[in-house]
Amino acid sequence: MLRFVRSNLFYLWTALLVIAIGVGLVAAFLIFTRGLGVTGLNDSVPWGLWITLDLSCIALAAGAFSLSAITYLLGRDNYRPLARVAVFVGLLGYSGALMALLLDIGRPDRFWHGWVYWNTHSMLWEVTMCITLYFSVLLLEVFPMVADLPFLARFRWLNNLAHRIHRFAPILAVLGLGLSLLHQSSLGATYGVVIGRAALWRSTMPLLFIVSAVAAGMSFTVHITMLVQWLGRRTLVPSRVLFEVGQIAGAILLIYLYMRFWDTTAGNYGYVPGRTEATNVLMTGQFAVSFWGWEMLLGGLIAAVLMIRARSRQSYVSLVVGSGLVYAGIVVNRWHTTLLAFTQPLATNPPVTSPLVGSYSPAWTEWATAFGIIALLALLFSLGMRYLPAFRGVALSTSPEPVASSASSGTGE
Amino acid sequence: MNDQTRPLSRREFIRLAIGLGVGLAAAEWIWQSFRAIDDPVGQAHAANINGPYWAMVIDLEKCIGCYRCVYACQAVNDTQDDHRWNILIEDNTTFKKPVFITRPCMHCENAPCVDVCPVHATYHRPDGLVEMDYDRCIGCRYCMVACPYGVRVFNWEERTDENPQVPTWGTPEIERRPRGVVEKCTFCAHRLDAAAERGLRPGYDPAATPACCNICPTEARVFGDLRDPDSPASRALQGRQSVVLRAEIGTNPRVFYLLPV
Repeated sequence: MLRFVRSNLFYLWTALLVIAIGVGLVAAFLIFTRGLGVTGLNDSVPWGLWITLDLSCIALAAGAFSLSAITYLLGRDNYRPLARVAVFVGLLGYSGALMALLLDIGRPDRFWHGWVYWNTHSMLWEVTMCITLYFSVLLLEVFPMVADLPFLARFRWLNNLAHRIHRFAPILAVLGLGLSLLHQSSLGATYGVVIGRAALWRSTMPLLFIVSAVAAGMSFTVHITMLVQWLGRRTLVPSRVLFEVGQIAGAILLIYLYMRFWDTTAGNYGYVPGRTEATNVLMTGQFAVSFWGWEMLLGGLIAAVLMIRARSRQSYVSLVVGSGLVYAGIVVNRWHTTLLAFTQPLATNPPVTSPLVGSYSPAWTEWATAFGIIALLALLFSLGMRYLPAFRGVALSTSPEPVASSASSGTGE
Repeated sequence: MNDQTRPLSRREFIRLAIGLGVGLAAAEWIWQSFRAIDDPVGQAHAANINGPYWAMVIDLEKCIGCYRCVYACQAVNDTQDDHRWNILIEDNTTFKKPVFITRPCMHCENAPCVDVCPVHATYHRPDGLVEMDYDRCIGCRYCMVACPYGVRVFNWEERTDENPQVPTWGTPEIERRPRGVVEKCTFCAHRLDAAAERGLRPGYDPAATPACCNICPTEARVFGDLRDPDSPASRALQGRQSVVLRAEIGTNPRVFYLLPV
């Protein structure tokens, strides 16, 4: 039995994902036909699990722009194999975010209104434009990898086009950097500009979002690359690069924690109506365990220490555990940030307890579609890692230590 | 290396980057000049300098908490029980005696909802009222997150319900909104607009005044033009202390509350 599982792991994994996608499709069908009434969302908590999924997908996809920038703009050629994984992960992450957004808006048939009717004052308009443009950049970046598939070799024009596009990698990296800096921050600003909710209304939001996204994106790329290498028994990325990126991500996480400390300390000095209550919910109330446990300890200090020390100790375990904890902590942070917004009673001057403070727990439809989207992304990722020549890597031989020059196969260098 | 795989030279890179920048700037300029042609929203405040300043004045001393304004609004605007545009909050702690605070949309001058809507589906009319374009709204609910007063409600489902307040408290005067869009109190804009065509005066003639103000048995809730010193709203404000909700965030609401004496 165990041997059967082990030798057919990929197919069992695929079957599991297909089932999850199927359940997600059923839920999505319900949502599209009956409307958002079948979710747990309500007038007092209009944003919930899906927004968390959007923010998380985009944060974990931040490895694409940051690692591309290091590779192509700082000229670190040995980072190229990792940047390639990051770009592929990025494309999938943004696809996931777009799918979740399509579910989340009440009128999915009007998704194109964001491109036609501009309100340039809106952070969400900025996010819409940047995400769409950056999605196109990612498509261009991934296109050469797909065009490299052996069975596409018969279309010579496709390969020519791919090589032409690949020449523009540095320009795509610049575009990606600019667009990502814009929208990763303006996702934070989407919350930060909400003057009516003191838990959100803070100018540090955009900075906290982008710094944490870079840490989470780099960590996620390292984490998933190590998983692929371990399961596929091959080497994609020189381990030196993984350790270096792990260390960078750990340092960035520490910077984030430092910023967060002062934001919380100075931002809650004395009594700030609405914000102080939200902070109490976070630190001593409903979210206390997940805040201190995940955001601060496991996904914060412990993860940063593991990531930074992994390099000098050459510890793969520290790196894989640490990087996993980093992005788990950031996902938990996005969940807290979203829900804390809705803890504040709104009709407060003269101060009254309004009936608006609601409670929210995601309905099964939300969970099913969220897991369906994640499963679809995981499936595409697994297929990509298995079949795309760019990720063929080098099979592990007897020596467990990978060779540094291993992953040079792939898109037209 | 053949020509196709050679990396870009510095000169080529700079040339391309400049070209892209100029192209984007030109595209933006053309787009903006097209947009300027039909953008009434930007000129909203400029157009209203000599127009009426619609406002609602709610007297906390006079309000007896009878729910009539809540029900009349629900009947006229055809809203659901759980998604009312005008709600009543009982406040037992702020003043010496309990008061009832009814809360319509504030129609803020600096409306956070208007700023955040990505598609301009919620906007300032030329007379300054904040209204919804149900045909444009994509249902992202960012305005519900942004509204400091929680006045916005969403159409979570296709409406098939019967309105419990019809016909006791009035009859629907506007269409039900489709599934998937946000809605809120309009200050009965349909009545104001019809009034303008028929020469009626909002605040004076009941047919031109919001339903909630007409039905109030104690005249605790009045409507009118604050630039007209004789309007019911202006007169109610005279000699009384008034507050707006959450003044500290600078939204400049058009709903004033008279403090109990």
